[in-house]
Amino acid sequence: MTSQEQAIKTLIPDLRNIPVDRLAELGSSALAHSIALYRERLKENGIPLSSFQARI
Amino acid sequence: MLTSHLLPDAAFRALAAGAGPPATIRLLRDAQLSKHLMLLHGIADAAGAAGASAAGPAAFRAGYALLAELQATTAGGADWLLGLPHLGSWAHDCLIHVEQGSAADFAHFACLAAAAAIRGGIGFELDVPVREGRVLLPGLGFIRVAEDSAWIRLCCDGEQVTAGAHFRAGRQYLVPDDGSGGPVPQWSGTPLIRAVTDGLAWQVLLETGDSYLDRYTLPMAAGLPAEDVRHWRQRAQSAWQVLVRHHRWAAEALPDVVSVIVPLTPHNETDLVSVTTPAAFGAIATSWPPDPVTMAETLVHEGQHVKLCGLLDMVSLVTSGGEKVYAPWRQDPRPAGGLLQGVYAHLGIARFWNAQRHAETDSDDILRAQVHFARWRSMIDQAAQTLLRTDCLTPAGVRFVNLLRAQGQQLETEPLPGEAQEISRQAALDHLLTWQLRHVVIDTADVASVAAACRRGESVRGRTRPRTRIEADTRKVEASVRSRLLNMRYLAPARYRELCADGTLALSEADRLLVGGQAQAAVRAYRDEITASADPRPDAWIGLALALDLLPSSPLQRVFAAELPLMFEVHGCLGDRADPLDLASWFA
Repeated sequence: MTSQEQAIKTLIPDLRNIPVDRLAELGSSALAHSIALYRERLKENGIPLSSFQARI
Repeated sequence: MLTSHLLPDAAFRALAAGAGPPATIRLLRDAQLSKHLMLLHGIADAAGAAGASAAGPAAFRAGYALLAELQATTAGGADWLLGLPHLGSWAHDCLIHVEQGSAADFAHFACLAAAAAIRGGIGFELDVPVREGRVLLPGLGFIRVAEDSAWIRLCCDGEQVTAGAHFRAGRQYLVPDDGSGGPVPQWSGTPLIRAVTDGLAWQVLLETGDSYLDRYTLPMAAGLPAEDVRHWRQRAQSAWQVLVRHHRWAAEALPDVVSVIVPLTPHNETDLVSVTTPAAFGAIATSWPPDPVTMAETLVHEGQHVKLCGLLDMVSLVTSGGEKVYAPWRQDPRPAGGLLQGVYAHLGIARFWNAQRHAETDSDDILRAQVHFARWRSMIDQAAQTLLRTDCLTPAGVRFVNLLRAQGQQLETEPLPGEAQEISRQAALDHLLTWQLRHVVIDTADVASVAAACRRGESVRGRTRPRTRIEADTRKVEASVRSRLLNMRYLAPARYRELCADGTLALSEADRLLVGGQAQAAVRAYRDEITASADPRPDAWIGLALALDLLPSSPLQRVFAAELPLMFEVHGCLGDRADPLDLASWFA
């Protein structure tokens, strides 16, 4: 495989074809792991609350 | 089995090169849909744990069930909802609250799902929150209701929508306001701008009603009078024309990159501020852009941030931590992540001005475009090198920055008139030296040691370099009239000429000589200012460096450009009002 054909496996699980009411069936799996990772990044990056929420 | 979104290497390379054709941007958008589903699932867990009887979590669950129905029954309805920046922004707030153990606004999701169902003609009955007399339907607009209650029953039979006992309207009327329809009682559609040039169209919402998008460094404009909306429509149309005619690469991607503009209220009317947040992919915020070209540049600038935010969600490029560093477009020291965002935005900006300099016809506008291009293209390589030195880049980040850097180097091969390069060089040097004097701290003992060596007449060669660190605002260096004037030479040449002719500006004699191009006399005047003053004069040191830079090449220029904070500190340590040029000669 040449570098042009290679693809990078990203941090986002592909959920496009999974109905939301079936997401729970994935249980404590890779999805939970991805969410945990994302929450960790959220904390690291320190994205603030919206001004509206920050005022509450 | 759960798989991950894949990003073709060609797409990664295209993004790193600052571009991103529509097919690549759609990969970013697709990943955002999954990201939002992931966040919703996390929020659903938290809502489930919040108890079955609480109204907010119950409304969330009802909205979640409606989303499941949307996924099952409408083509594109769920994707429209999952692609809304409004959803991302709310989900981030909600998740942060869950993380912090504070009260999350679960109920707002019922409004989001209801908006998608109304748009798709799906029947539902939901209890939704009323905020300040409004039922928000993100992405569409809001219903004004008279009821005092915090909740209202919102129903849709697929055609008719009711809210409580007093609002009823056909769903076809509950749409964004593109300026073509008549008023609908109690309905306020989010202003929608449709810009079309040469067959290329861009639709963008002008959002001032969704509080969750009020998340930028400046407040969201609180509602927009019809007259202001009209002005925004005209300005966006003109900016779109600039992009389509002269910056096709940016125009082709923009409809997938920017779907929402949040107008901001700046502290001063003349300030131009634009911002993007990773929490709301597809939204940018900006104060009123003073002209179409500035708005076009802002769209390119913020569009770059949106793309990079999307990529950073997918691929880790930079880690947090590490010392803050110099960013040639900022007054403050920046973390590596911030510098990466900045250099990526400025690659887009440099490309913009490279094309715009050929599009302008007025000589002042041509000069402005040339200097912008000269200034920002030369910063790409410099900032990329700084990034590579931070050790905060992941292997993918190193590759990304090297690809980006190659683009900057390619731009540097474009020929430019000498005047534009000279103005750009001076503005860049002024910015760098001001930043250094503000934020570079040098170990006090090391400064004393260098001063002692200088007094003894020892050679500076072979000495260990003093230890330095970056600390925000370690010295007070005011923004000078001189700097503003030097920048005005290309940002507002007519005003610059006017002010120079006026002769009443609050400039020192040395500044006046520098601005007038009398470099040799300015050097002497700055030296006299420094030696005559009992107080440290950082502004005069910077002026001296700028004046020397105008003279034929000499070792002193290099010393001033590379060692200004150290010379400034050693000079203070030497006392007895030492001659700064003698000190610089010793360093040289």
